[in-house]
Amino acid sequence: MPELKQKKVGIVSCSGEELPEGTVSRLAALKVLEELRPGETVTICLPLFLAGGEGDRAFAKFYPTIAIDGCDKRCAYRATEKYSNTPAAGIVITDLIKEHGLPVPTGCRRLDQNGLALAELAAALAAEQVDALLGKQWSSRQGQFLQSEDRPQQSQEPIQATCSCGSGIPVQKLMLDGQEVTFIALPLIFQQFAENQKAPSAQVLDELMNTVKLYNSLFPELEKSARAEIANAYQIYWNAERCQNG
Amino acid sequence: MATKKVVIIPCSGVGKPFGTITREAAYQVTEDDRPEDTRLVPLSLLVLGDEDAQAALTEAEVISIDGCALICATKMARESGGQVSRAFNSMDIYRANRDLKPKGIAELNDAGLELARKLAAQIDQAVDELTGKADGNA
Repeated sequence: MPELKQKKVGIVSCSGEELPEGTVSRLAALKVLEELRPGETVTICLPLFLAGGEGDRAFAKFYPTIAIDGCDKRCAYRATEKYSNTPAAGIVITDLIKEHGLPVPTGCRRLDQNGLALAELAAALAAEQVDALLGKQWSSRQGQFLQSEDRPQQSQEPIQATCSCGSGIPVQKLMLDGQEVTFIALPLIFQQFAENQKAPSAQVLDELMNTVKLYNSLFPELEKSARAEIANAYQIYWNAERCQNG
Repeated sequence: MATKKVVIIPCSGVGKPFGTITREAAYQVTEDDRPEDTRLVPLSLLVLGDEDAQAALTEAEVISIDGCALICATKMARESGGQVSRAFNSMDIYRANRDLKPKGIAELNDAGLELARKLAAQIDQAVDELTGKADGNA
């Protein structure tokens, strides 16, 4: 799958209000997002897979995700898998308790010390998974990723949970045979191709279509029309970019 | 009149303080203020179509508490077969109390907790109306 934006890892937590382990999953996710790996992670509220739009449901197609669940119902993992894409990794708090022989937490609303310790453990494990997925090495001493010589230094982003609410993945709508079809990520795909100086051509269009199909399911009967409309839309994008950049 | 406990569904929002306010308000209503009359149903279970969670909504009065304009809790409650009797949004409480600026997602600041208390008080009132206990009928 091509990398369309700076690669980040998506963290999805169950946040289950009914069990202390749900609160643990929520706090662990927030700890990763806000403290441990703020620049490398992004989140989405679990219900947005259903209540949101195509962009929200494409979340896990763009970001390798780590699901943090409170119990073996694994709502976060299964919902991500069902509505978006299979998570790259999953952490289940009740499994952690068994594996590490830890005391069961209490307090859905205010976690006890056992719950807070569990959240720390789950967050640390999730951060390790983030590093593994990004192929980066974290320096505990420096509090940042070790930079390879050829890797540009990244600017520090604000330390807060990055929420996809209302932003989602950009989409573009095209008319295909008289019906409006939404294409997930099309603006980003155009941007990526233009940045790579891929001028419109039959060969580039083949490549473009392959990329578009990674994120969009196309009915075979609409493929010809889609190819023509996407070629047209990319030509317009390309011309506009060239005008803008002189 | 409801024969089952009033179901409270907060939004589970994890990206903004307004989601945490819904969670805090839901706990205050179900644990502190009206534990006899209410029960909390996690939205995550409804997302997956959990049968027990869906059954809890059947023939029950449902109060949704959302934290943003996407109103996930309200939408999910309806998709799960629930009749949403009252729908609240923590952003409305903030609009009515702009001096209280909520901060913190893992842990709300004092302003956020105060907003949660105000929201809970409105939900308490709604619960009383739905259970026929309003105006001293309890």
